[in-house]
Amino acid sequence: MRLNRLTIYGFGQFHDRTFDLRPGLTVFLGANEAGKSTLTQFISAILFGFPTKKHPTLRYEPLDGSRFGGEISFTQGGQDYLVTRVDGPRGGKVTLHNVTSDLKLPATSLPHLLAPMDATLFQQVYAINEPRLAAVFATSKQELVDHLRQVGAVGSDFWLAQASQLDEAANARYKPQGRNPELNRWLLAYRELRAKLDRANAAYPKYWELLDQRRQLTQEQATLRQTLQVERQRVTTGEQRLAKWPIYQQWTALATANDPVATGFAPQDAATLERLVNQQQVTQESLTHDQQELTTQRQAAQLTPLFQHYLEMADRLAPTLATIPDTLVAAHTVEQEGSQQADFQNRAESLERQYAHQGQMPRAFSLATLQEVTQLRQELTTANQKRRRLQQNLNDLNEQFRQQQPTRQQQRNPLADKQVGWLAAGLIVLIGSLFLPSAFLKLGGALVGVAVGYYGAFIVSSGTPATQQTDELEAEIRDLQAQLREGTSATTELTNRLDAIGESHGMADVPLEEWATAQGAIAEWERLTRQLEAVTTDLQAAQQTVTDFQKNVGAILPELADHDLQDQVDQLLDLQRQQQRLATRDSDLSALSERVKRDHTILAQATAAVTTFLQTRNVTDSQAFYQQYRTVQERDQRQQRRADLAHQLGEADLAVLQGVADEATLQATFEQDRQQLAATQAQIDKGNERLATLAGQIDQLTSSGTQAALRQKLADLETRMIATTRRWLVDRLASQWIAAALAAASSDRLPQIVTKASEFYGKLTENRYTEIELTETTLRVRRRDGEWRTVSQLSRGTAEQLDFAVKLAFAIVMTQQVQMPVVIDDGLVNFDAQRRHQAYRLLDEISHDTQVILMTADTAITTDVAEQQISQLVD
Amino acid sequence: MKFIHAADLHLDSPFLGLQDLPTSLLTQIRESTFTAATRVFDRALAEQVDFVLLAGDLFDRAEQSVAAQAYLIEQFDRLAQAQIPVILGFGNHDFLADRHMSIAYPDNVTVLGPQVTTVTLKLRDGQTVAISGFSYDQRWVAHDPLATFPEHAATDWHLGMLHGAVATGSGDHYAPFTVAELLAKRYDYWALGHIHQRQFLNENPPILYAGNTQGRDRTETGERGAYLVTSQDHRLVPEFFSTSALVWTNPTLTIATPTPTLAEIGDQLAAWLTQDPATTPELVVPTLALSGPLSAADQAQVTSGDWLALFQRTYLRAMQAAQRVAVALRWESPVATTETPQLDTRYWTTGADQVFTSENLQDLFGKLAQEPALADWFTDPTTAPALREEAAKLLAALAGEEDDHAS
Repeated sequence: MRLNRLTIYGFGQFHDRTFDLRPGLTVFLGANEAGKSTLTQFISAILFGFPTKKHPTLRYEPLDGSRFGGEISFTQGGQDYLVTRVDGPRGGKVTLHNVTSDLKLPATSLPHLLAPMDATLFQQVYAINEPRLAAVFATSKQELVDHLRQVGAVGSDFWLAQASQLDEAANARYKPQGRNPELNRWLLAYRELRAKLDRANAAYPKYWELLDQRRQLTQEQATLRQTLQVERQRVTTGEQRLAKWPIYQQWTALATANDPVATGFAPQDAATLERLVNQQQVTQESLTHDQQELTTQRQAAQLTPLFQHYLEMADRLAPTLATIPDTLVAAHTVEQEGSQQADFQNRAESLERQYAHQGQMPRAFSLATLQEVTQLRQELTTANQKRRRLQQNLNDLNEQFRQQQPTRQQQRNPLADKQVGWLAAGLIVLIGSLFLPSAFLKLGGALVGVAVGYYGAFIVSSGTPATQQTDELEAEIRDLQAQLREGTSATTELTNRLDAIGESHGMADVPLEEWATAQGAIAEWERLTRQLEAVTTDLQAAQQTVTDFQKNVGAILPELADHDLQDQVDQLLDLQRQQQRLATRDSDLSALSERVKRDHTILAQATAAVTTFLQTRNVTDSQAFYQQYRTVQERDQRQQRRADLAHQLGEADLAVLQGVADEATLQATFEQDRQQLAATQAQIDKGNERLATLAGQIDQLTSSGTQAALRQKLADLETRMIATTRRWLVDRLASQWIAAALAAASSDRLPQIVTKASEFYGKLTENRYTEIELTETTLRVRRRDGEWRTVSQLSRGTAEQLDFAVKLAFAIVMTQQVQMPVVIDDGLVNFDAQRRHQAYRLLDEISHDTQVILMTADTAITTDVAEQQISQLVD
Repeated sequence: MKFIHAADLHLDSPFLGLQDLPTSLLTQIRESTFTAATRVFDRALAEQVDFVLLAGDLFDRAEQSVAAQAYLIEQFDRLAQAQIPVILGFGNHDFLADRHMSIAYPDNVTVLGPQVTTVTLKLRDGQTVAISGFSYDQRWVAHDPLATFPEHAATDWHLGMLHGAVATGSGDHYAPFTVAELLAKRYDYWALGHIHQRQFLNENPPILYAGNTQGRDRTETGERGAYLVTSQDHRLVPEFFSTSALVWTNPTLTIATPTPTLAEIGDQLAAWLTQDPATTPELVVPTLALSGPLSAADQAQVTSGDWLALFQRTYLRAMQAAQRVAVALRWESPVATTETPQLDTRYWTTGADQVFTSENLQDLFGKLAQEPALADWFTDPTTAPALREEAAKLLAALAGEEDDHAS
């Protein structure tokens, strides 16, 4: 490439300037600040692009505000081109024009046109200035080789193009700073997926947490279910108890009627009683049967009912029969005492009739009274002499009257009855005496009987009064009394005195003259009365004996009840005899009778057994027993019922129910239990729900597959990424490989460059140094005397000259591959004058092979370079 | 005595190196680790074994897979119902960092602690067996744990369970041990885990890796499974049984045609894949041995995976019918040795030497090293040679074109 003209629109200090360049050496001469560096920078900027705005000092934007940029006309491959670059994005707006063919070329073809030259290579090799020469200290073979490879010294357009294509392909796959290339996008996607997976992985701790929750909950549920079982049992029990409450009530009711236990009324007792009663009945029946049999047999033996009765009662009669003799004696005593009593009574009554006043017997006089009475009587006897006869009559009449009008005590027996009684008694005695053993006694008894009869019929009947005579008697008495009344008054006083005595002694009714007799009679009466009392007592005792006997007989043998004693006795004796006869006469009957007797005994025993049975149970009869028995039975039934109820209730429930106050409490407890059950059930349901939810969540976590899918996606993406990375790397490596191969090929030129550099270095140092050697890491030079010096051992100027020589050698050797002007910007300031001249001459020499643009402030150049080659930078 | 020795279930781990597969196949693949593990447990139940030993890496802790945990709990429950004890020690992937699992697992499961623990079981036939082992409590166990293993106990049998690798001398992170140490314990059996390829370290007494139950990438080829171990005359005899739901294979198909088109290659590959149906579904990574180089365009198609995707779409049904599905592709072709007029082989070799240095590779890889997924791949020792090989193929193809260009 050869630069023909530089046209500056505005760049650094220049504006609207044009610099023409010669094909060989062009020297721009200018002082400091004339713009030498600006020109160098201009060439780089127009060809390879403006530096970015991050480096404003390198951009050289015009100071005066003129248009930034310019154009360079150059020749490449026989074609003339014009490249224009003005300010714009990405290194400036480029216009490329093929002047030869007058074709406008796309801006992108500029780098291709310039290849393999680029900004870096240009700056490092072709643009030589002092600072860069100073960098020779860092120069190494590798660097040089890099430069060589950069240049593409081998010149294989094809391989360079391939490498370029590979790089493009690689860039399409991945750029370390890019966003759009495939791998960049996937890396991004990968990160996103990774983040998603991380989020999905949150399910993992969640899963464990859920499992833990489920485990705990399951345990809780198990506990709750046990509780539920217990509570359910409790509720069921409660329900049952509630249902049992009425039964319990019945049970309780039965309990309140709990009677004291009466023993001996058990069913076996009833059975015993029944057996005993049955036995009694059977015995009774047997007896009845035997009796009937006996009756039948007796009837056949023409036995009187009385005898039959007697046979039945023989045992009971036995004591009665034993009393017969005593009774007979008693009867006899009764007769005797009766007559004696009647005799005493008659005598007493006759005395009473004589002396009693108003039924009251007068009392006996004391001795003084008796003397007074005797005196008074003597006086009275005199007074009464004259009227004695009258008085005698009147007394007779009064006596008669008194007999017709008996005292109240004598009313009890009418005279006729008395006569019949006395006769009967006499007869009885008479007849009774007939039974007496001896004839003497029989005669005596008969005489007594006759005497009794006589006494009754004749002595008692003599006192019979006549009522018709009474009226006549009274009339006579009234007549006599009238006669007496005149003679009486004299005696009245005596009489009155005597009357007073008589009155005080109950002897008013007794005539005075009989007072002495009366006194004897009174004593006689009192003796009689005492005897009568004794007789009456004996009589009553005897009579009682007889009566008892008769009562006994009557009780046992009612047939004989109304019979008199003698008859009864006779009959009984007769019956005894008859029985004795019967006993001897009829053994069958006797046996039967015996059996009846035995039956009686058995019946008595049975009855006794029943009685004993009943007595031991403190009941009067079997009915009472049965009543009690039923009571006991009922009680037993109640107890049985209660036991049944208790069984029905169950021991435990019963015990519990007993502890319960009332049904409401029970109901309340039950309700409470039921609520508790419901609560527990609800809790379990809730737990189950929660478990189901947990199971659902766990299932969801387990089966969602999100994690696995994401992981597989990631794995797949990784695979893609690796594949892409691999292809990217392969492309890059292939590209590098091509470059390396090319460089290897290029490095063959290195000896040429070294040789050339040695030649140049010799010229520059006036052959002070003759040889340059490149090692792997550095280069060294050999002095003319054969000594080797490393770069670091060289002086600054000499070192810079070494670099200068190498760079020029490179440029010359590479001319075949790349033609690029060497631009030297005051690079020789550290050269001494001699070596600078040598340098100028060298440059002039090589400018035949390559274009050289030298910018310098050193006017000495004019001695070494033709004048036409020199331009003044400053106008 | 009868027990099962399994290890490295790696439940619910994603399959690596797959892309653009149909959903049905993906589902099958995703479930394969579970299917394989289920076969282990099914066998345990069918054989009514006395116990099951799981020597670590049941799942990948880093994956935090709920599905894996749920699955394990479910399967352990199955064994629990059959009253089969499970003794497990966690490995480097499922190391024991918290106690979640032990709590969630049913009672028949014994999780060995971080220290060597000995579990003694009394078997149905009255024999006793001691099992010693431990769980990782972190990703790495750098020390040799053998010292803490007890001597043979006074039981009828003593088994060791160990998740780890034979010591290499440096960089051993996985309970490094030596076979001699294991033998010195005089155990009747060593159930090892960690190495996915099943292998015997010693015949009698058996010291062996059960291998993983399901291959998960193209390198884990062939049948995978576990061992059913039975006692025979005072010896324990392990018998392998396959559990893999899917089998990875990497056969080589020679394409005899000198310059085959991709269509021709596709036809041949399809015919070859489907001619011998497999009994267990196979994930095939065929290597195409080409007689001549592919054109750069074809090569680009193949390299980009576009061609494989197209091939899969075209032949999926046929492949699935034969249970042999090509999931990835490798190819080999003779590298062009043609000398270019301007650039001889010498320069290429020199260039390669400069380019394929680890420094240059790392330099080029640059920031991507920060992407763990890529970094793992990149640091894999096989990657660099593969890259070089591929670049060589690429350049060979380009050289071919240059020849065409030149001629």
